[in-house]
Amino acid sequence: MRKLLPLGTLGVFALILLPVFLLDSPWPLEPRDYLEARGVEETGAVNLVSSLYLGYRALDTLGETLVLLVALGGTISILKKEGFGLPDLGSTPSARLRRTGLLRSVTGKLGPVVLLFGLYLMAFGHLSPGGGFQGGVVVASGIIFLALGSPAGPEALPLTRPKVLGLLENLSSLILVCTPLFGFFSQQVFFADPLRGAGSSHPWFIILLNSLIGLKVGAGIGYMGILMLSGGRR
Amino acid sequence: MTTLILLLLVALGGYTMFSPRLIRGVWALSAFSLLSALLFYLLRAPDVAITEAAVGAGVSTLIYLWALKALDKKDGEP
Repeated sequence: MRKLLPLGTLGVFALILLPVFLLDSPWPLEPRDYLEARGVEETGAVNLVSSLYLGYRALDTLGETLVLLVALGGTISILKKEGFGLPDLGSTPSARLRRTGLLRSVTGKLGPVVLLFGLYLMAFGHLSPGGGFQGGVVVASGIIFLALGSPAGPEALPLTRPKVLGLLENLSSLILVCTPLFGFFSQQVFFADPLRGAGSSHPWFIILLNSLIGLKVGAGIGYMGILMLSGGRR
Repeated sequence: MTTLILLLLVALGGYTMFSPRLIRGVWALSAFSLLSALLFYLLRAPDVAITEAAVGAGVSTLIYLWALKALDKKDGEP
């Protein structure tokens, strides 16, 4: 029975996907050609992926970010209810054994580098591959590395303190939810780029959205990771 | 090259589903994510490749490992 269930799932997936492969209707090319011809000019983002998800379809991205916010909030509240708190890294003998000197020095040295790379992905998402979500996850990895590598535990560093991370996530989410209104006042269009309305061709709005999403995702997932490090009620 | 990666992906996915121990499945899933990131890069979708590498191979593997650790502690099994 235990072996049959995965096989059955595979079979159902194959049945659902088979028509997609067998169908030979042509791909819709119009949106692609339009984006290739006008994307950079209309949104200012060289990376067409970010011009799409923060320029043309920014409302979808807002919804996606809200889904992520709700998911993270639910996870963190369940973790808190289960007794996950700040990890005791080094206070008990077993915790000291698990967190060896090798792990501590490697994560401590690697943390800032990973954090910088995440910030780069966040801030340059309009030019090169990357963006808010990807950069945010890399920032979260950097935050978890810093928490693992800090000799006195995550409370010692300002960036890995739960209070700071929570504040960062709340603030960036709040500003992100308010951003659609900027364009509403300047151009009477929900989620319009307010600076583009004023005649600027620089994608400041996309950079702002990327940075906000990155901060929100990074702080949220980093906080969740630090909570999960603690291992819960014994 | 693409065909080779796709075949490897199928093999890794199968191993993930039928692996005798959950932890081996988690590692196979991580390798699956890394290989699919390489595939996305070869198919000229670097954005998706970065996402797959950071989320699939990095954070979700960590979350699975922590979940396994927490489950082991609760059940008292090795």
